[in-house]
Amino acid sequence: MLKKRAYEKLKRIFKDRCFLDKLGRVQYSYDATQKMYLPDIVVLPTTTEEVSKIMKIAHRYEIPVVPKGWGSGFTGGALNIDGGIALSLEKMDKIVEFDEDNLMVWVEAGVVNYDLQEFLKPYDLMFPPDPSSWKFSTIGGNIAENAGGPRAVKYGVTKDWIKALEIVLPNGTVLNVGSKNIKDVAGYDIVDLMIGSEGTLAVITKALLRLYPLPEHKRTMEIVFDDMEFAAKMVSNIIKNKIIPTSIEFVDKDAILAVEDALKVGLCKDADAILMIEIDGSLCEVEEGVKKIEDICKNSQGVMSYRVAKDEKEADEIWLARRSISPTLKRIADGKLNEDIVVPITKLAQMIKKTQEIAKKYDLPIVSFGHAGDGNIHTNIMYHTNDKDETKRAYKAMDEVFDVCLSLGGSITGEHGVGITKQDYLEKQVGSDAINLYRAIKKAFDPKNILNPGKMRL
Amino acid sequence: MDSRLKETWESCVKCGICRSVCPVFKEEKSEPYVARGHITLLSELVSGNVDFSEYEAKDYLYKCLLCTTCVEACPNNSETDTIVEIARHEVIKHHGLPLYKKIMAILLKDRALMDFAFRNATLFSSFLFKRNDDSSRASLKTKFETPIMEKGRLIPKLTKKTFLQKYKDYSDNYGYLSLFPGCLINYTYTEIGDAFVNILKKLDISFRVPQKQLCCGAPVYFAGNFEDAAILARKNIDLFSRVNSRYIIVMEPTCASMIKNDYPKLFMYLEDKEYEKKARDLAKKVLDPVKFLYDNTDILDRLKHLDMKTTYHDPCHLKRAQNIKDEPRAFIKKASNFTEMKEADRCCGNGGTFSIDYRETSLKIASRKVEHIENSKADYLVTGCSACIMQLSEILHRHEDDHIKTIHTLELIDMALDGGNNEG
Ligand SMILES: Cc1cc2nc3c(=O)[nH]c(=O)nc-3n(C[C@H](O)[C@H](O)[C@H](O)COP(=O)(O)OP(=O)(O)OC[C@H]3O[C@@H](n4cnc5c(N)ncnc54)[C@H](O)[C@@H]3O)c2cc1C
Ligand code: SF4
Ligand code: SF4
Repeated sequence: MLKKRAYEKLKRIFKDRCFLDKLGRVQYSYDATQKMYLPDIVVLPTTTEEVSKIMKIAHRYEIPVVPKGWGSGFTGGALNIDGGIALSLEKMDKIVEFDEDNLMVWVEAGVVNYDLQEFLKPYDLMFPPDPSSWKFSTIGGNIAENAGGPRAVKYGVTKDWIKALEIVLPNGTVLNVGSKNIKDVAGYDIVDLMIGSEGTLAVITKALLRLYPLPEHKRTMEIVFDDMEFAAKMVSNIIKNKIIPTSIEFVDKDAILAVEDALKVGLCKDADAILMIEIDGSLCEVEEGVKKIEDICKNSQGVMSYRVAKDEKEADEIWLARRSISPTLKRIADGKLNEDIVVPITKLAQMIKKTQEIAKKYDLPIVSFGHAGDGNIHTNIMYHTNDKDETKRAYKAMDEVFDVCLSLGGSITGEHGVGITKQDYLEKQVGSDAINLYRAIKKAFDPKNILNPGKMRL
Repeated sequence: MDSRLKETWESCVKCGICRSVCPVFKEEKSEPYVARGHITLLSELVSGNVDFSEYEAKDYLYKCLLCTTCVEACPNNSETDTIVEIARHEVIKHHGLPLYKKIMAILLKDRALMDFAFRNATLFSSFLFKRNDDSSRASLKTKFETPIMEKGRLIPKLTKKTFLQKYKDYSDNYGYLSLFPGCLINYTYTEIGDAFVNILKKLDISFRVPQKQLCCGAPVYFAGNFEDAAILARKNIDLFSRVNSRYIIVMEPTCASMIKNDYPKLFMYLEDKEYEKKARDLAKKVLDPVKFLYDNTDILDRLKHLDMKTTYHDPCHLKRAQNIKDEPRAFIKKASNFTEMKEADRCCGNGGTFSIDYRETSLKIASRKVEHIENSKADYLVTGCSACIMQLSEILHRHEDDHIKTIHTLELIDMALDGGNNEG
């Protein structure tokens, strides 16, 4: 009853930027996990004040609120698992202040990562975090998940590039945290706490991002292996030789076949694995890097062939193939347990070998690809959802993958976050004391537990 | 439902890539207006989780250009156009067809009625419209506000004699080609059809214009009225299967795509195996006129170089639906000083009835093309579709770019075959 009054109020304020009808709500009921939970109401604010207004109403009537970016998340963070308000930020998509002199930019949370890159290009600048989903994920979502992309090997992840935030607390208070100063140690670092908080502590409305000059030169290489373990070994070999490429991406056999089937870009179908490497910097840096890697290739086992992309078009094709893998896996089976484990680089070969053993043991295809250069591998356990036995085996296989990962000192998620799909595994990794601390922090921000409840064991 | 059709939406993994390319989403910025949203609605509808009347679902279902930009970008080739059409049909199946759509279907199914309607429209046109010769393409300007058109909107002028009537004498004789002009060329842009006929005459290629042809059915099919679309499709299939021409030249890309791609899908949906097969056989003979000239004649070598600055817009139903993009460019490059504009394949925003139902959005989408056209410094914007010509000449007029003329690839070819200063 009370809720109903709140919803009517929101509808009055937001009019056609608010959906109460079932059809409209259905369209905000999912994200890239393909799970569906119907929100009671959808609101699309355009300003910080509007976000604050929504939070105040929600706070007063104690209604759950789930912040949403573009819904490309892989762990269900943006799902309204308890109904309530879907607060979707796609209309807050403005670049607020471009400070070319300080190499920083203030953007609204709903700006799409790639649109920002396009804006920056004429100024020879970039925002280094480049998740594969950069064309369809927001800066707010990137911050909330602490997204990382292929360039992370050299440039780090989202966390390394955020200077300040404007946030709206669960009670509607608007707060500015952080500053333009390169050094600033006044008080707790709330900015860092917000990064990776998955929309559970506050709604991010604006962000001040640090920028970096676009590299003058770039070169893309592709190395083809007849055995994926050697590909994994090559990764640590490259780093050990003090070469820091922009990205080192790993693609295994099944992923090659799926993406080649979809895009036909000429990936080698006989390969057991491929490494895609990008090096950037000055011409001489780039040339030296390429030469060093070529030398390593000549002296390594398992290398079937390698090539350097001859022009931008060829390089773009290689990267398009890499970015398209994830959605094309549906060709293998309709069910997918999509994990993004990460291990120290030196443990990568071991992790890959164990994963293959697990695949054999449970008789299921496990497709591995991802950001090998930082030890982050997307392990996709494929199964048919209508086959009960396969489904059971898939979940068992996943447990085992996590166990191996943790035993190697790794983490259950490198970039996709915890959300709902990984929350049952979180405690195993961080321990119950940490979970208790999380809950205490959550309570300090959100005593009524209205902001994205039921995620991350909170 | 046919499992091949189910695949078109079950393949969607809700990744959101379509959001980054959909022209409607770019303007609306909300999930109901993008492929992922459309697909979800249909699958929920089919599985019985939601039920809606056309009225409540109107915007969700009709605010889509069927431009297939999302299909091209989708890693799983989820066919949003098919999905939206099926969803529209599912709604009609449950809730019936609104009156104005019934009337449209009656008109389209009967050539005599259709001619009658247009003849009267021509008669009244001086009352309703004023001539507008200074725009990018000769047209009429509406004088009054009407329910479907605002005052000042440009529409193409109606021809006194339709294309079919003009080439009546070519109806029954044998022809290497059979021509299917499509409604826009038949009733309004007859000169584009004339250009093609001129070219054929110069090349000594025989053709016929079967008089019994009907509208391809796209307007009713796109609206989800599959039953009437099937009546039109069957009649056209029967007629053109009897015709003994080598090729059926379908001049409008939308009609060509309808006949080639959508007829088979339509009969698949209606589980009519006989006509599905007939449609597939017919599809093999259907060809776009520019593609025909490129593949089957030596006309490219015979074109003269004209002193014109041109750029090109890719019609959705030519590039994405038929994969024709290099052929027109080859002609244009040979015949003129060509500059490729940025995002040449961005949808112009016409989308048939979309431009009437969602005028403002349609114009916003079109406006995004203007800067790229201007930057190309072209005096002539060339394209291969009458609906695009209608939309683009209007948007150029609105941006006071009337000096940029909008022409059809066939018209340019015809001009270059006639004269020019022979330097290329
Ligand atoms: C094909 C594909 C490839 C991907 N590749 C990568 C990759 O390479 N690297 C990577 O890190 N991720 C990747 N992802 C995952 C996903 O794109 C990222 O997690 C992204 O950051 C999510 O952004 P979004 O705008 O879609 O957020 P959503 O999915 O809408 O939301 C994600 C989470 O962020 C919260 N949130 C969103 N906006 C705000 C806000 N303004 N304030 C507070 N909380 C908010 C939500 O509550 C939710 O918990 C990929 C996804 C897909 C589908
Ligand atoms: S339609 Fe294609 S691009 Fe859009 S969400 Fe579905 S799979 Fe992704
Ligand atoms: S067909 Fe065009 S308008 Fe419709 S959803 Fe796809 S991209 Fe958008």
